[in-house]
Amino acid sequence: MAILKTFLYLLIYPGFLFLLVYSTFCEWFDRKVFARLQNRMGPTHTGRFGLLQPVADIIKLLAKEDIVPERADRKMFSVLPVIGLAIASTAMLLLPVWHFSLERPSPNSFPGDIIVLLYILSLPTLIFFLAAWSSTSFFSEIGGARVLTLLFGYEVPLFLAVLGPAIMAGSWRLAEIAHFFQQRPLLLLANLLGFLIAVICLQAKLERTPFDIPHAETEIVGGTFTEYSGKKLALFRLMIDVEMVAGAGLLAAVFLGGFPGGVFVGFVHFVIKTLFVIFLLSILRAVTSRIRIDQVVNFSWRYLAPLAVLQLFIILLLKGFVL
Amino acid sequence: MKIAALLPELLRHLFKKPATVDYPFKKLEVPKDFRGTPFLHPEKCIVCRACVRDCPAEAIDILTVNETEKTFKMIIHNDRCIHCAQCVESCPTDALEMDDLYEISAFSRWDLKAEWEFVKAVVKLKPQPSGTPAPAAPAASSSEPPAGGGSQPS
Amino acid sequence: MKYSVPIGPQHPALKEPISLRMTLDGEVIQDADIRLGYNHRGVEKVAEGKTYLQNIYLTERICGICSHSHSTCFVQGVEKLLEVEPPRRGVFIRYLVSELERVHSHLLWLGVAAHEAGFDSLFMYVWRDRELIMDLLEMISGNRVHYAINTLGGVRRDLDEGQVKKILDSLALLRKQSEYYLNIGAHEPSFVGRLAGVGLLTKEQAVDLCAVGPTARASDVPIDVRKDDPYGMYGETPFEVCTADTCDVLGRTVVRIKEVLVSYDIIEHLMRNLPAGPVAIRTPRRPKPGEAVARYEAPRGENIHYIKSNGTDKPERLKVRAPTLGNYAATVEMLKSGFLADIPLIFAAIDPCICCAERTATLVDARTGEEKTVNFSTLRALARERWKNAPLKKDAVWPF
Repeated sequence: MAILKTFLYLLIYPGFLFLLVYSTFCEWFDRKVFARLQNRMGPTHTGRFGLLQPVADIIKLLAKEDIVPERADRKMFSVLPVIGLAIASTAMLLLPVWHFSLERPSPNSFPGDIIVLLYILSLPTLIFFLAAWSSTSFFSEIGGARVLTLLFGYEVPLFLAVLGPAIMAGSWRLAEIAHFFQQRPLLLLANLLGFLIAVICLQAKLERTPFDIPHAETEIVGGTFTEYSGKKLALFRLMIDVEMVAGAGLLAAVFLGGFPGGVFVGFVHFVIKTLFVIFLLSILRAVTSRIRIDQVVNFSWRYLAPLAVLQLFIILLLKGFVL
Repeated sequence: MKIAALLPELLRHLFKKPATVDYPFKKLEVPKDFRGTPFLHPEKCIVCRACVRDCPAEAIDILTVNETEKTFKMIIHNDRCIHCAQCVESCPTDALEMDDLYEISAFSRWDLKAEWEFVKAVVKLKPQPSGTPAPAAPAASSSEPPAGGGSQPS
Repeated sequence: MKYSVPIGPQHPALKEPISLRMTLDGEVIQDADIRLGYNHRGVEKVAEGKTYLQNIYLTERICGICSHSHSTCFVQGVEKLLEVEPPRRGVFIRYLVSELERVHSHLLWLGVAAHEAGFDSLFMYVWRDRELIMDLLEMISGNRVHYAINTLGGVRRDLDEGQVKKILDSLALLRKQSEYYLNIGAHEPSFVGRLAGVGLLTKEQAVDLCAVGPTARASDVPIDVRKDDPYGMYGETPFEVCTADTCDVLGRTVVRIKEVLVSYDIIEHLMRNLPAGPVAIRTPRRPKPGEAVARYEAPRGENIHYIKSNGTDKPERLKVRAPTLGNYAATVEMLKSGFLADIPLIFAAIDPCICCAERTATLVDARTGEEKTVNFSTLRALARERWKNAPLKKDAVWPF
């Protein structure tokens, strides 16, 4: 029975099926908000309110011809999208959305899972780089180089920002951090600065405007994905959607007090909090223009990283004198 | 320099009606004098061939069907037509006019061909400012209002 | 590591085919080369087989964005040959369309530049406002892109009171919105940060390389045919030539934004002082043998049409110098030592209209002759050496 339950968890909710449905919904939400911010309509006709548009896009891509460049490393080229999607979905396993009881932890909630989650979320970047490198095109190679350069920009501020709440809660376990802030919701305000930094870094991690440099279509055509088409591109797009949900979930768990209250209330918490984070990401996308790669590195090391250190300092002071 | 200067404007638009139109389902109206596709009033055509001469795209043909019965055939090749309405302007008897349709695509260029077979009309020419009849006049343009055009002081 | 990246002939940043070959060192451009000739349509040859009246519509189709500027420039030249003067009301309406076109072209450019910079919100807002101008043009002329309002000796359609009122109403709305959005766009740090200091073209270079239009004016070279060689009613219309001295893409943006606002003023002036009378006069079909040159300030810069007549109703020769062609040489200079990320912006900043320029694709090919021995850059170096010490002819008179 317990095994059946675990399988149910893994496959239906909050596992694979829920993840796919919810990530397409999140893409729809992002597109709709982005369009409405720009006085446009956004997806309208596929399904009610265009809800099925991301699904339709993916189905359409799946039906398209699949081309592998002649000079590309065939195996690597083909297997990367699958690995990428698997990695992004694995990240979801570690989110404390599964009603973890602190006394009887399930195997996927353990001290240090926040570190594992952060590292798993870093892996897609590597996948992008490898994908770009193995497709042997000028534009992909430039895109791949930019992916790695971008990584140096946002990774450290993101880690520093997420470190803050963990230090405050005195735990490396996501469920415990969430539980700590559920007990003392006011302390969340102390992390406001860290939350904003993390949102900006998540935007960079997802390579969305203003950080869509690796696949800036007006400069380097498709960038990383120039040579990808058909099924593989569909998997990559799904992977980015899943990564968005997982990233938003991480931020919601660490900065917004997690998802308390069992399966059903926790579900509502999860949806509202992740959509809030995605809404912020959409606004950030609408309000800015793409910046250059040197400006990104400049910006993150001149402003983001020091601000993250400042946030950490504030938390240490709070922890030392107030708590 | 403010940070995120566009933000209030963006948020204001979040709850406004979109500026775009749901096109194939809702259509905008074209203005009064929209230049659509030319069509012929066969009862007015005097076969002066002014339209054939002036058409920049060579889209109008007038063929003689029967010389003695004075029947003619006008073909407008809408696949070549550039919708400039010069034929309407050149026509001395207002036999050509523009409609206001704008969804005029077709699957084949032959579907775009419009034909009229008619007997040459005997119509009194409208008076020209210079007094000469239009087909013979070397006029590139006249100060007549275009067919269905706006009011024009002259 | 040095490598060369082809931008074009087909590339998402270029809406029209042109080939830019960039030699890159990392992300920095070392050298740039422009190859033309992918869009040659033989318009000038076709023009020789059509009557002057038909050629109005042909020249209009040289370009899809500044269609009115080509047809107006052609009509100006033919009217010189025919020795006719269009009536004043016709002139006012002709240049009203002209200024509306300038506004729509500049707004279009601003949208494209915002898109190239990845600032899609500004792009959407600007193009939404541009739709008002397109509606006005459709109302005046009956079509949105090819207005076909010009004819020999005037214009084809008149304005009535209601239309004048509608133009003024839309203008008031547009002015409010434009000022607001342009102000906001100019204060978005990530956007301004992308534009400032990119694609430098000094004043001397702009003069040497014969840059025209907003590209030259952004390098503080106040050239504007409307002011320097007034045609139509521009001699009596109060307006100022907009310049900027930053010499970069930001300057080109600022110049265009200022010009949009100046154009609003001109349109308002035209509408308030619209004279009564006919809009067109009858003209002969055959000009006397002779030749004429017409100059016109298109949204992208100076547009030149040369027309040679041999006494028949068809021109013997039509030569078009589109403004984009005048800016190519300057573009190569701007691209050098820029970033790869700036190529689309720099190239977009001259507002290139390749279909305008491509009729005259012989610049590179014909002048270089054997491409292998003399390439474009050495040619340019030679040309610059030749003209380096030559004094500028400040009081040069156009020879006609």
